[in-house]
Amino acid sequence: MVELLQNIVEALNNSHPIIQFCTYLSLFFIAIIILLVIYLKNLRDRLRIKGRIEATYKKKYEAELIEYLYADDDKNNNLQQQQIITYFKKSSENRLKRKLIIATFLKLKNEISGETSDAIQNLYYQTGLIDSATSKLKSKKWDTVARAIRELTLFEIKEAHDEIIQLINHPKKEVRNEIQKYLVKLFRFDGLEFLNVLENPLSEWDQIQLLEILNKFNNLEVPDMNNWLQSTNNSVLSFTLKLAKIYNQYGVKDEIIALFNHADIQIRIEAINVVAHLGIYEAVAVLKEDYFTRSLDEQIAFFKMMEEMAVPDDIPFVRDHIENENFFIRISVMKILNLITVDDDNTFKINTTATDFTIDKDLTIAS
Amino acid sequence: MKLSKKIVLAEDNSILSKLLQFKLEKEGYQLLIATNGKEAVDLIEGNEPDMILTDIMMPFISGLEVISHVRNKLEKKTPIVVFSSAGQEEMVLNAFNLGATDFMSKPFSPNELIIRIKRLLQ
Repeated sequence: MVELLQNIVEALNNSHPIIQFCTYLSLFFIAIIILLVIYLKNLRDRLRIKGRIEATYKKKYEAELIEYLYADDDKNNNLQQQQIITYFKKSSENRLKRKLIIATFLKLKNEISGETSDAIQNLYYQTGLIDSATSKLKSKKWDTVARAIRELTLFEIKEAHDEIIQLINHPKKEVRNEIQKYLVKLFRFDGLEFLNVLENPLSEWDQIQLLEILNKFNNLEVPDMNNWLQSTNNSVLSFTLKLAKIYNQYGVKDEIIALFNHADIQIRIEAINVVAHLGIYEAVAVLKEDYFTRSLDEQIAFFKMMEEMAVPDDIPFVRDHIENENFFIRISVMKILNLITVDDDNTFKINTTATDFTIDKDLTIAS
Repeated sequence: MKLSKKIVLAEDNSILSKLLQFKLEKEGYQLLIATNGKEAVDLIEGNEPDMILTDIMMPFISGLEVISHVRNKLEKKTPIVVFSSAGQEEMVLNAFNLGATDFMSKPFSPNELIIRIKRLLQ
């Protein structure tokens, strides 16, 4: 065997340098592959052990939680409950165990409501997990802060409001997003108070998420939006215009009209788009007055709005644009004229037929 | 001796199953737990339950398939209560079309579920 190895080494030393290089390179890669295989096997074993430990603890915590909730039905079982609280409190000192306890609590809390859900929330307080989450709000790591806020949201901890609102202008958008969701999920429209102090942009995705959360709640008293419509943050203006449209806030018409002169063209267009939905007829005169000084996009938005808001008095103004260079304006003009017909005796009629979708029956039969 | 009524619960959330088991057994019902649709079908076929509680989304066989199996293949009129989550409104309608008796939207109150079960088993 030794002799065979010696022969191989000798043959390798006498071979061409390229063959020598390739052989050494192959040996190097083989060594790396062996090391990687050992490492991966080790990693897999560790993950399996960790998985087994997690599964064991999860099962244990689930049983303890059920025991706690079941004892909740029996008023004489306070001692048993106290023991379970102490057990959870002690276990939550370990990071992994704390994570598993929180996951167990949430696994049930997300599925149930009423007394049982309240009991889990109560347990969250009693085990001191709330203190752990609130202390993380002071962390320098943004992901730790974001996770803590998400946890407080899921457990509906309203007491953390004052500490969380201070972070509303956090440099990381992920943290800001979690804060916004916390505020709106727990405080609904009152949570939108953050719009008064928000300095960073509220992305379109953030706005959709907030509207979706608000959409889940019925019979909410819509707050005063005047301040938000005077915000210096354009994304706040954009979001408030959406709110005004969805919740039919006709009361803010003066603020919306004021936005026709906003520095940002996008805000001006969004304001014009809301006018038709809310039926703010005063806005038509304002826009007609300085129509020619406005940009083409605003003019298109204006005519689009007029499709729903035009009255017979507007017909001369509309007719003047029938040969407008812009295709979209011409289309809007024709739609408006098609909708309102002014007769020779100065009477008018509103054409109720849906002009877009009239079907030529003869043509249909012929075809 | 009065025999307790049998209920098959098909739910993949283990802790919710345990909670409902405690609550329903305390009310005198016998609960048979399945963690997926396939197990639920086996339990239904082998135990003749008085009621079926099923989640819509489950591994292997969904809650809708369980309802269809009970109504169309086994041709049983056992009351079936469906658990649905937010955003599954379309599936709830499908469940009713297939023959579900009632539904509860998650998160639901276990006490309310017990009242509904009692009413349906009267």
